[in-house]
Amino acid sequence: MWTRFGNIALLIIGLLWASATTAQTIGDFKMDETELYAMTKQMGQFMRRFNYEEDQFGNKLNPKDPKYRNNEMRRQSLPILFDQEKYGTQTELQRYFIEDVTKGDSTFMSFLGGRWYSEVSTTFKYNGTDVSVLLILAVEQEGLGSKWVLTNVYCSEFNKLFPKGELAERERHYLHPMSHELDFMNIYKAFQDPDLIEYYASKDYQPDYLTLFFYEVKQGRLVFQHVDGLKFHVFQIKDWYFEVSWFDRKGLNSGWLMSNVIYMPEKEKTNLIKFYQP
Amino acid sequence: MKKIIATLAFVMCFAGIALAQDELSFERKQAIDSLALEKVRDLSKYIKIVGSKDTPFSEANRVIDRAEELFMSDAEIGVSSIHSNQITYYRVRKYLEHLMRLNYDRVEIEWYNIEYVSDLQRQPDGTYVGVITIFQTFRGYDAEGNLVYKDTTKKDITVYVRRKETQIGGRTIGFWDVLLGDMRVKETTDR
Repeated sequence: MWTRFGNIALLIIGLLWASATTAQTIGDFKMDETELYAMTKQMGQFMRRFNYEEDQFGNKLNPKDPKYRNNEMRRQSLPILFDQEKYGTQTELQRYFIEDVTKGDSTFMSFLGGRWYSEVSTTFKYNGTDVSVLLILAVEQEGLGSKWVLTNVYCSEFNKLFPKGELAERERHYLHPMSHELDFMNIYKAFQDPDLIEYYASKDYQPDYLTLFFYEVKQGRLVFQHVDGLKFHVFQIKDWYFEVSWFDRKGLNSGWLMSNVIYMPEKEKTNLIKFYQP
Repeated sequence: MKKIIATLAFVMCFAGIALAQDELSFERKQAIDSLALEKVRDLSKYIKIVGSKDTPFSEANRVIDRAEELFMSDAEIGVSSIHSNQITYYRVRKYLEHLMRLNYDRVEIEWYNIEYVSDLQRQPDGTYVGVITIFQTFRGYDAEGNLVYKDTTKKDITVYVRRKETQIGGRTIGFWDVLLGDMRVKETTDR
């Protein structure tokens, strides 16, 4: 029942965006542009639709226009930015999200506002074998403008170098507190088993994978092959985290859409953001 | 000659406009969007001419020269199919020559009436960068008139906008110089 209502609601919302449809005829082919109008074609368009900075025809709104960032319009248009195959149109989460971001002290997305990241899935050759590497990038202001910069990297090969290890095993490896009086004559033990070297570091030690990545690239052991995919992680919106992914499919719900939406109080974001920007 | 006329047209459009400001007004951005769209429409027109089997070889080569002039010298075209995200890179001339040599008896190249223009962002050197998205359908036919290949592609085209100055009659006039950059060509679900 809800699914049927959901589909009808989606159709109405989609048509709101796509009401500028026209059809072209080429030879025997009729090109219907409805779906392409509805598609969220760029991440920038996602932001503009999220904020309601463009109308349903894709025309940019003048900031002086009363419709610009109008919360009533946002309430109508935000559902189309969800992956409807996952979230439908009537879910509690979706309603709560929309209500929250369009209330009095509503929050908007900003290109230069920080706390949003690109996750680029790539393939590298590592010592001659294909490996998947996730590159994390953020927009950083510099000079007269901004640029995308690498903030972190995830490669399972790197993680294998720093296994968590059993606590009991880790607790067996240390330099006793009076080692200094012996001119650290015992320090050779730290280097006996290279696999365990990090056990001799501070409990606060965190491997810097980005430096390791740069090192391996400079050494010529890690060689870029190609980009496989892209998605975005957004922490900008107060008390919410969401992912934006590309959906290439027919219908009125395609392009860059919210694929994973989680209620996340600000204080809980701190640790998660460290993965993207240590 | 054409280049001079085009430059003069830019100058006339924007004569009297003050030097570049850090923040572009809404109206100024709209004017720049129009300039950028003109370039993309020129490119669309050139692709259609180059792809057409009715275009003589010499004419197609002349049009490829014109198309190349729209782009930055180091611009690349990254192409992927619906079956693989892997990107194949071409220089602008190679891409258009490839299009010219496709082995069909007749082709139809059409553009959807959709042109989506991103916001302009400044890069560190102050140049404005934007992306224009357009959609194209391609259909290739054999000698018997049978449709043997078709695709729909989304083309995301980088646009660089720089404030430049020129001297006309002893006066310094500012104008916006628009050049196309890298273009991402991604096959999408046929609609």
